[in-house]
Amino acid sequence: MEEEARLAIEQALKSGAQYAEARVQRDLAHTFTLKNGTAEPIMTTRKLGIGIRVIVDGSMGFASTNSLESAKIRSSSETAVSTAKAAARLVSTPIRLAPEKSFEDKWEVRMKIDLQEVSIEEKFEALHSIEKALTPELVGVSLPSRILLLDEELTWKFYANSEGSRIRGFVPRISLYFILTAEEKGKGTVQRTLHEAQTRGWEAVKDWNPPVLAAKEAKMLGKILREGVSPPRGEIDLVLGPEVTGIICHESCGHPQEADRILGREGAQAGESYIKRNMLGHRVGSEHVTIIDDPTLPNSYGFYKYDDEGVKARPRILIENGIITDLLHNRETASEFNVSSNASSRASAYDREPLVRMGNTYMKPEDHELNELLEDVKHGVYMKSFMEWNIDDRRYNQRYVGLEAYMVQDGMVGAPVRNPILEITTPALYGSVDAVGKEMEFSGATCGKGDPMQGAPVWTGGPPIRVRKIHLGG
Amino acid sequence: MESIVSEAQRLGVKSVAAGYTRSHDQMVRFSNNSITVVNSWQTETPTVYLASNGRRAACRMEDQRHEEIVKVVKELVDSMKVTPRGEVDFELPKGPFNYQEIDGIYDKSLAGAETELIDAAETAINSAKKEGAQRVSGVVISGSWEHHVLTSAGAEGSGKGTGIEITVRAFADDDATGQGISIATNLNRFDPAGAGKTAGTIARKARGATPGKPGKYRVVFGPSIFANFIDHAADSASAYSVDFGLSFFQDSLGKRVASEKLTLYDNGRLPNGPGSIAIDDEGYPTGETALITNGTLKNFLHTSYTAAKYNAQLTGSAQFEAGVAGMLPAARNLIIKPGGEKVEDLFNKTQTGLYITNNWYTRFQNYRTGDFSTICRDGVFEIKNGKLGNPVKGLRVSDNMVRILKSIEALSKERQWIRWWEVPTPTLAPYMLANDVGITTVSK
Repeated sequence: MEEEARLAIEQALKSGAQYAEARVQRDLAHTFTLKNGTAEPIMTTRKLGIGIRVIVDGSMGFASTNSLESAKIRSSSETAVSTAKAAARLVSTPIRLAPEKSFEDKWEVRMKIDLQEVSIEEKFEALHSIEKALTPELVGVSLPSRILLLDEELTWKFYANSEGSRIRGFVPRISLYFILTAEEKGKGTVQRTLHEAQTRGWEAVKDWNPPVLAAKEAKMLGKILREGVSPPRGEIDLVLGPEVTGIICHESCGHPQEADRILGREGAQAGESYIKRNMLGHRVGSEHVTIIDDPTLPNSYGFYKYDDEGVKARPRILIENGIITDLLHNRETASEFNVSSNASSRASAYDREPLVRMGNTYMKPEDHELNELLEDVKHGVYMKSFMEWNIDDRRYNQRYVGLEAYMVQDGMVGAPVRNPILEITTPALYGSVDAVGKEMEFSGATCGKGDPMQGAPVWTGGPPIRVRKIHLGG
Repeated sequence: MESIVSEAQRLGVKSVAAGYTRSHDQMVRFSNNSITVVNSWQTETPTVYLASNGRRAACRMEDQRHEEIVKVVKELVDSMKVTPRGEVDFELPKGPFNYQEIDGIYDKSLAGAETELIDAAETAINSAKKEGAQRVSGVVISGSWEHHVLTSAGAEGSGKGTGIEITVRAFADDDATGQGISIATNLNRFDPAGAGKTAGTIARKARGATPGKPGKYRVVFGPSIFANFIDHAADSASAYSVDFGLSFFQDSLGKRVASEKLTLYDNGRLPNGPGSIAIDDEGYPTGETALITNGTLKNFLHTSYTAAKYNAQLTGSAQFEAGVAGMLPAARNLIIKPGGEKVEDLFNKTQTGLYITNNWYTRFQNYRTGDFSTICRDGVFEIKNGKLGNPVKGLRVSDNMVRILKSIEALSKERQWIRWWEVPTPTLAPYMLANDVGITTVSK
């Protein structure tokens, strides 16, 4: 990998680039699927290639090839340079990178149980054990559709740039993903999607205890179908579970605080941001709202030690006590804002340019037990998990439809509520948070951004939170 | 490919489909009237799909080392031996087949186009600015590809094609935006100026939007948002979605799933079609498949596996997709039969309602029921007294997909090819008028 990267950079500089970087990346992925108890094909994906990014006279070029032959690498470097040169006439703001320290390092995430050492039989057995736990006699509800997936991905990466960085990394990722559809005569159907994911070996699957996890969700679906009541009307208080807190932090804090969106770079696809360049120090939430993005959380799905520009990862406090304190930066946006990069540059594969991305985004816990959050609610809803959600492309107008949710009356959790809808602006939501719990939970997710689309593994999480004076909508 | 098929057969595999794609693509991205990056990709991708005695395995290899490819075949065969047996034993379509060339899908001047992309970006930016845009963002992509398929059942064929596309987003103000699209298989049909003009015009008209109100509306949907709905309908018409229990057309074959105004088909060998190719990834010739005829669901899209399971005819829809199942049935060019009315006639017919030009972030509560919501993006306008009125903002379509399809009242004569971030399958879509559409807004 080192030799190919060296060759690519050397050729780019020779062709006229002022800056060049190369990423040689190998991915090996397997997906194991059980559909209603029967096996789907084992799907294998193998990738090996090199991506070269250059800056020439303030214009950026990126080229990739999945051949590591010297001639193809040289040709790709020349293409990156020549296309950047050709585009320079339409570059009105020259692209520069903020200065950063160079590193020479090797890092890896160690697996206690190597994913490649676990047999295919054992992987299918893990899925079959879930299937067995989902029989109607055990969970009390019919599940006409049960889609169970195990996804493993191993990534070897070597990054180098013309400033002297040389970084070799290895990351294993494992995911358990399922979609369960429950049906009750006369009550319709309800669907649950759940994604557990970590940067770890097979030991993660053992820790998740998938049969117990799936059975608990299935029983919950049955209860919703049998006992679910309509959501309350009028002003209520809302307690949101960690899964909902996590998606909120990701969608309406992490995304709008990506500096490339603020600069308009994603305007035609993922969109821009309601946050403007001058809003650092601006209040967008109550004093209870502190949101952090941290790619260094051990075992996290969004873990990395160096980003894809060779910058060392660190936690970023995006909102502190309701005030915007930082944005997510790569070296390009950092230069525009006259700050340092905070290592938010990620690429999903060798053939994708790195973009500003989140790692693991969560709300900082405070000191309340869940019961304490609930006991102060006279009339409200506890929304523990969600199904449908979306947010506008400025990250201002968002909607979360509750899946597992319950009425709360005088502090007591009551009947399940079917389809409560929270449809609210970002400042109104963060401004209405009056208490934050202490028990943190994280969910795995694949965040989409860029064109061509890049899926980035992330965690979303946080503790339960309480939001006052809300109107449920829809 | 020969080595993949022969090695797998030597190892005892009954059915083998090998694919090989060589592609060369270039993309210019721009924002704030300035180019932000030029991307170039050269990729060679072999794929392998194996089936034997009810067991299947698949691999996509973006890795050109020959020794790896042969190694992978052996690994796949070994993995099949310990994979639990699937539901259906099936065979790949028995060849040889005759794959007739498709007109208008290859333009040699597009292979390696570079200057043309930069010129197209400039043209689109200037065109949008002329209509009133302050800032213009977008993406232009062109590419050429060759695709070969060889199967153990005697099918062998190949095809090549080119494409060029632009998506332009104009900003007349931070929240006054419009989108324009042009997609073509050759330079003659490519219209970046038109895409820029459309984006700029919608953005200019969207200036000064006031918050819209929730309720049930008569809505005229523009081609972009209608294409997004149809793309989801085509996903639900894939036998794979049905097989997984994730289709809102579950148990609906032969039944009414839309208003009689809607006729939808997929055509994999449409002349000048952006998704056209003569051969599917199981070696079967592509063709035209009626999905919905006058509102009735006529067919699902099939691979050999789903056709065997559901006792259906092949539709030439097999596509090798990295991800879950390897070989999936999927649409290539979605064609909606046009209506007989002009767009202005649809506004007039609406009398009071909304015109929604575009959307994004469609998410389902439940794939089986089709309950969903999607965000209105870019210009949204009131329709008053049958005419286009003031712009509004902050709206979301919150409804059920089948209910919307059943409530279609009229379709326009005019149609436009759509493919972009939210519409992955090329779709030829008219404007559409639907009734009683659920619209929601934020509570605070």
